[in-house]
Amino acid sequence: MGRIANWFQERLPIDGHKLREMTNEPVPGHLKRWWFCLGGTPAYLFVVQIVTGILLAFYYQPSPQTAYRSVHYITHEVAFGWYIRSVHQWAATFMVAAVVLHQMRVFFTGAYRKPRELSWIVGMFLLLCTVMLGFTGYSLVYEQLSYWGATVGANIADSVPVVGGALKLLLLGGDTYNQHTLSRFFVLHTALLPIAMVALIVIHIAIIRIQGVTEYEFDEQRASGEKDTFNFFPDHFYTELVIGLALMIVLSALATILPATLGPRADPLITPEVIKPEWYFYVAFRWLKLFSGTAAIVSMGLVVFVMFLWPFIDRVLRRITRIPTISVWVGIFAVAAILALTIWEAVVPH
Amino acid sequence: MFESLNAKRILIAILGLLFLGSLVFVQSLEVARKRSEAGLAEHPISIPQSSKACVECHAQSNPGIVDHWTDSTHARKGVGCIECHQAEQGDIDAFHHYGHDIATVVTPLDCSRCHSAEFEEFTRSHHAKAGNILHSLDNRLAEIVEGSRVPFNPHSPTPGKAVEEVNGMASAATGCQQCHGSKLALQSTDGGMITVEDLKPDAAGKPTNLEAAARVLKDEHGRPRYHASSWPNTGIGRLNLDGSRGSCSACHSRHDFSPRRARRPENCGKCHLGPDHPQKEIYEESKHGVAYRDLKDEMNLDGESWILGKDYSQAPTCATCHMSGHTRNGGKITHDPGTRISWTNRPPVSLVMDTDADHKVVTAIDPEQRRAEIVDTAEAKRQRMTDVCGHCHTPDYISGFYRQYDDFVILYNEKFAKPGRAIMAALTEQGLLSEPQFDETIEWTWFYLWHHEGRRARHGASMMAPDYAHWHGMYEVAERFYTELIPEAREIAEKAREHGKAEQAAVVDAVIDNILARPEHKWQREAQATLE
Repeated sequence: MGRIANWFQERLPIDGHKLREMTNEPVPGHLKRWWFCLGGTPAYLFVVQIVTGILLAFYYQPSPQTAYRSVHYITHEVAFGWYIRSVHQWAATFMVAAVVLHQMRVFFTGAYRKPRELSWIVGMFLLLCTVMLGFTGYSLVYEQLSYWGATVGANIADSVPVVGGALKLLLLGGDTYNQHTLSRFFVLHTALLPIAMVALIVIHIAIIRIQGVTEYEFDEQRASGEKDTFNFFPDHFYTELVIGLALMIVLSALATILPATLGPRADPLITPEVIKPEWYFYVAFRWLKLFSGTAAIVSMGLVVFVMFLWPFIDRVLRRITRIPTISVWVGIFAVAAILALTIWEAVVPH
Repeated sequence: MFESLNAKRILIAILGLLFLGSLVFVQSLEVARKRSEAGLAEHPISIPQSSKACVECHAQSNPGIVDHWTDSTHARKGVGCIECHQAEQGDIDAFHHYGHDIATVVTPLDCSRCHSAEFEEFTRSHHAKAGNILHSLDNRLAEIVEGSRVPFNPHSPTPGKAVEEVNGMASAATGCQQCHGSKLALQSTDGGMITVEDLKPDAAGKPTNLEAAARVLKDEHGRPRYHASSWPNTGIGRLNLDGSRGSCSACHSRHDFSPRRARRPENCGKCHLGPDHPQKEIYEESKHGVAYRDLKDEMNLDGESWILGKDYSQAPTCATCHMSGHTRNGGKITHDPGTRISWTNRPPVSLVMDTDADHKVVTAIDPEQRRAEIVDTAEAKRQRMTDVCGHCHTPDYISGFYRQYDDFVILYNEKFAKPGRAIMAALTEQGLLSEPQFDETIEWTWFYLWHHEGRRARHGASMMAPDYAHWHGMYEVAERFYTELIPEAREIAEKAREHGKAEQAAVVDAVIDNILARPEHKWQREAQATLE
């Protein structure tokens, strides 16, 4: 054993103690609370997506002629294909939910404030990447929802002032959905967006490591007056492992109880009576129905822009209004509005 | 909670085991799926106590029957042999068999004990009336022209077989009746046969004519003996001894009652094929049939639910368009295939499928009378079919198709069928044709024209098979009309004139002349005139 260790030590002269110190930074005591550990969940789900995604890509064929049939083949013929596809689909839903919940936790605890503004902005990019991965993912199935969802998505892109036409062309590879559209979605879904996400996650974690995790003091800590920290390994690592295992059990259960289904094959000649995107687009979909094309797009773009710059806007708002909790009230209003629009879209048939 | 390291370790171990357990469960699901696909799955079947002895004994004597039943939904739901074959005291075909009163033939009335809605739908369908062929031209062909209603002596000896008498009904029994259904008959002690007409059963299927019932010939085990000319038979319009009509196994096959088989077009192809109504071949030529052959493996044909637009949409089969449920009718299946058909192309001249309270086609011409008689309009039937078509076709496409179909049927009716019928009627009314059918060439000619070629053309148009609509259809109709029917009618008139029936001949000639003077036939007359 010693000889093998020496062999590696000669070629990789890394000091084990240093490495342990580097990776074992004390973790603030508030992270003992399970709700504060959600940040790792999207990253964990991202790993699940990469593993299941690679397995699905072994059989998936991205062309209008073969896409639906290959997904059908994965679902009905390939050993464990239905399970892998179902886990992939459920993990995607969970990932969006986990990112949103994490972002809400960061927002309401003010963890985006100086000096962590960059961490928030990178997080916003991660949110957009996650949503884009969801959109391109269900577009690949080439069922009716995929085709018409992509068509609606392209039309939304087209409504963007000035660059709309170019955006649509970039997305579809032509004026309308065509032979090359699925290849684009496939490359976006399996290469460009995952690579971007890996890079963003690395930056996100690097910033956290440099700045440290925002520390919160709870009443009992404040009473003791001691600075409460604990080890990353094994204490926090175990917590993350528990969350990961619990997630896998839930994913496994959902994949077997409610496996991924396959709708009718995409038919460009038949517009479905009802087109409903995935639930996380309900808010945008309802917004689009409430306002005319360009107005809806511009206002949505403005909302996303405000979200990106919220750490700076928040500082200005607090200074002007002199209300320290102004961001909490804005947050409550935003969450209520998002919930209302989502539920509205969910309950109405059209 | 769970903040200590040890508590976390225990939690990780429990969750790890649970996750491993979930993977083992997934593995078991996968193995079950693969076994089922490979046909190795053993369905959990439930043999009712009353059928245990039947299954044990028949597994030895007729293993095929038991195997088929074992694979059926009936077996999984605990419906055994007795549930279907049970008979009551007083049933004409009942016999005592190892402690149970049973009957060999299971009729739709028996099936209605559980499937009452299906029984009602089927009973009012045209399928259930298929046995009416017993009074039709087709039957005359099989019983008289091809065979003989009375047995006759052999023409000469058959080496190796002692033939004392020829059964002239063999063609009808083996041909017509295997699709249309036989009149089920028991052997009588006086050497004759006993049918539903003799038994006059009541609503419960019990015979009311006890004298006829007393004449039933039974074997040494007390089992009534079926007349070989009527059974085995699973014709769809079989006239059963209990007064019910048809045979559920005509489509559902015994003893596995496979839904998959009933959904496949091959099932209907047992009867809907051949020169006179080649629906199966027409379907195969159509884009629907082409798509089915290509995509049948993806059509969920084995599914418990088979709703168009929900469980499949790759291609339609016969069942899809005519019977199965779809998303626009709440998935409701019908056992009356006529409810979505807007033309009947069975008779010489196609009729619009406005039907009365007895589900018969209304033939009245007077609009007031039609309105009074019609209960279900052809338009309503067409709308039901349109609802099916709409799953894969746009409204413009469907209405365009129906326009083409209507035009085609009307062209056939007006250019050939009605004129042909008028010529045949004139010949008969003028006494130039004998009363019996098929003893004169022109009767065969007319029969070929409407019964074979005319139906092929119309069915080809109804299911979008261009070759059947044209080359196997209208082309042959036209050829038969111009080169056989008209010349043969002229010849009969000419001969009648020679035999002193000038007046009658003139009437027939006038009918033909009037037809040929019409614009649609003018081309032929003009062409002939250039020769003269």
